[in-house]
Amino acid sequence: MEAVLRHLTNILELLAVSQTDHVSEWDRHTTLRAFQWAEYCEQLHSRFQCNPAVRSALESALSDTNQRLQQALPSCSPVMFSELAQCQHMLLIHLLTNPSAPNSVIPILFPDPKTAAQDSQFDQNSLITCKSAFNLLCRTSDRTSYAGLHVEAVVRGKLLGNLLNSVLSRTGNDEYARTLLDSILHDSAGKPESLYDVIAAALLSPDDETNSVVPHFILAWLQEQDGCLSKLCKSLSPGLCTVISRQSREFKQAYWGVLKQWASCLEFDVLEGLWVPTSDEPVTFIILTDRFKELLNSGPPLKEETETELKTLKREAGDFNVKGICIWTDVIIQLKL
Amino acid sequence: MKTFPFVGQFLGRLCWNPCVIADERSQRLLLQCLSCLYSAEPLNAVERKANMWIKDMLCHLISEEGSVAHTTVKHAGVTPKRYHSEALQKVVSLMTEEVIKSCDSLPNTARCLNGNIHTMSTACVALVICPEMSPLIGALLKHFMLCGSSCLNQEFIKEINEALISKWLVLEDEAVVNLWCYSPSCLEGAAVSFLESVLSGHETMTQSLDKHVNDSLLPRASAHHCHIFLTVNEIYRNVLTEIDENLAVRALIQVFTACFLQRLTGQKPQDRLPLRAFFPNVTPCLLTPLLTAPSEVPREAWLDHLSWIRSLLQSVTENEEAGEDGRAYQAVFEAWFLLVQCGYWVDTAAELLVLAAPENAKSLLWLLTFFHHPTNRGHQRSQQTAVAREAWTHLRMLFLTRPPPPRHLCAVKELLSSSFSANLVLHLFSNFTVFSHGPVSIITEITDKVLTEAAVKRRALWILALIRCRLNSAATRDDRVYSRLRTLQDTLLQT
Repeated sequence: MEAVLRHLTNILELLAVSQTDHVSEWDRHTTLRAFQWAEYCEQLHSRFQCNPAVRSALESALSDTNQRLQQALPSCSPVMFSELAQCQHMLLIHLLTNPSAPNSVIPILFPDPKTAAQDSQFDQNSLITCKSAFNLLCRTSDRTSYAGLHVEAVVRGKLLGNLLNSVLSRTGNDEYARTLLDSILHDSAGKPESLYDVIAAALLSPDDETNSVVPHFILAWLQEQDGCLSKLCKSLSPGLCTVISRQSREFKQAYWGVLKQWASCLEFDVLEGLWVPTSDEPVTFIILTDRFKELLNSGPPLKEETETELKTLKREAGDFNVKGICIWTDVIIQLKL
Repeated sequence: MKTFPFVGQFLGRLCWNPCVIADERSQRLLLQCLSCLYSAEPLNAVERKANMWIKDMLCHLISEEGSVAHTTVKHAGVTPKRYHSEALQKVVSLMTEEVIKSCDSLPNTARCLNGNIHTMSTACVALVICPEMSPLIGALLKHFMLCGSSCLNQEFIKEINEALISKWLVLEDEAVVNLWCYSPSCLEGAAVSFLESVLSGHETMTQSLDKHVNDSLLPRASAHHCHIFLTVNEIYRNVLTEIDENLAVRALIQVFTACFLQRLTGQKPQDRLPLRAFFPNVTPCLLTPLLTAPSEVPREAWLDHLSWIRSLLQSVTENEEAGEDGRAYQAVFEAWFLLVQCGYWVDTAAELLVLAAPENAKSLLWLLTFFHHPTNRGHQRSQQTAVAREAWTHLRMLFLTRPPPPRHLCAVKELLSSSFSANLVLHLFSNFTVFSHGPVSIITEITDKVLTEAAVKRRALWILALIRCRLNSAATRDDRVYSRLRTLQDTLLQT
């Protein structure tokens, strides 16, 4: 175990160095050795990914090394455990983007296809082919299938669902799964809307509908992130939210919760005679009613359940039948229930 | 790059074009170009700049664009290669399901979602040789069969055909048959390229001709689609009339027809078309006797069956001799071609001749003569019949008496070297070698003395191939005959 931790530290140092100008001293031999270490690292990841005990030891070694390296070489980015699966790829990208990388090294990494063996570890052929083929196919498909989601989101969502499923299938990995989702959310902080599509697809993903481990986990995680569930529901279309609600009771309950929360942000403006939003959240009365309309159009049993829920909410708020006092009354009147 | 600097720009554009980089062949060329342009020891600023540009390009090729793509791949827990391979498989299976669903919802006369199918097939043009794509390609081809209106991109069909022929693509059998139904030119290409492979791949072909024919999928497709059989038949028939007396082409036609008939009998009776549909030009009374395989007729009845065939054929030829019009000539040609297709009966006649009594030989020899010389060109028929009889007599003597008399050896050798009836004599010779009784050692002895030229030996191997195919489909296996066959083959293959 000691040896493994030492090796891990070495690899991280390797990755860090490959981003600095020390890399100009590397020769052919060093480069090949570096890639061998990276490959070993990938094997470490795949062996211990689902083993909580060993993994947490590796993770703490990682965070120690990351801290140390951050102080010595501020320009290096910290490495997470989940990224270790792509160690060789990371190393390759570092060498390609580092201007100090020696010129003689690149031909080793991209050998001439005519002379190189097909299965050499540096053969990028199938990666490039699969990636472009995937992109090409995703562009041709339209949105009308797959519950209004784009096929790319569906595929990425399914793959994410599969990953979570395999991680969660062994006990003790909940924290790790949460970390994964956290990282993904953090790294796409710029444009989370497309990520929400992927998460929606992951919620819909299990082919076996009795397996609710993954949707349950994702929902729990969403509810832990401040405002995330609300943003997700806002970003997804009413139709899509309805489809997910049909498939997952838990999501249905959570969705209703979000809608109730949105309703509580609306106030009745007596002068205009309209319900208007009070907070920064631009959820209007129309948007709210559209959401409920979509739920009601979905057919049994969701239709009946939603009707019952609305009537209950109206009753609990005082059972008014006049407009302008209780939002639920107005919603029900608007939807002509 | 020195002479044409814009080449750099051009390569750059190509690297950004997914249709170019998705195809393995063009991708390799592109990477080769980049690799040539890279200087391991740059001498000036231009070369250094070029190196930087190439590194950028390579980086772009292997990494993600877009934040969601980047982040989902980064934390996927597998290598990017594995991630994208799985992603591709998933998108293919989703799209395949979509195509299949649109097939199911079609009543026979409605128009389907043409636009979507056409778009998909256009996207697939560049992806034809990607192995993960074959389920989608198969589904698109199947869609045509169910939908009826052709909405597949023509380029797509062309690419598939070329990829199949050059073996870059492997499709399921059903998809290949669907392709042939969709595109007659693809079918013709496949039939011709199979013929070429048979004619050029001599030794492997003669070893297991029936397996190769079945592997080509032509018999299977022909049994399910009458028009495919008629097309393939027409092609091979035209070739036969161009190349006179070519044993390889005859062998192909014979084995193709035999495999095709086997497939037909395997079909359910309600699906089966009448034989008349597959052989429209032949006198109907010839169909039953010839299209029934020898393996379906008990051995004791073979002689009578062959007499029946002979009498039918003889009446057709007599009609021709009597009448002067082209129609009678056409009837003879059609009858003869049917005999070539059902050549297993001619081989059976040759086998029976080995042990036949003289009174039965006449009928069998007529058949053999007609097979090798259908026309009465220059009124040679009587001469040809005489040669056949002479050959048979000599061969009997050669194989019945021990040691083989030199007189008969020379006679047979002479007959073989004259071009007059060489194939017929060779045919008889091969059968005598395989089916006569007597020690196996005699085979090598006689063959070495009689078949000396390489060209003759090659022709004999084709005859052996046919004998083997016929034995393969027989009900019982005769080990003695097989060992004689193997010995003769080994002798012929020795150079």
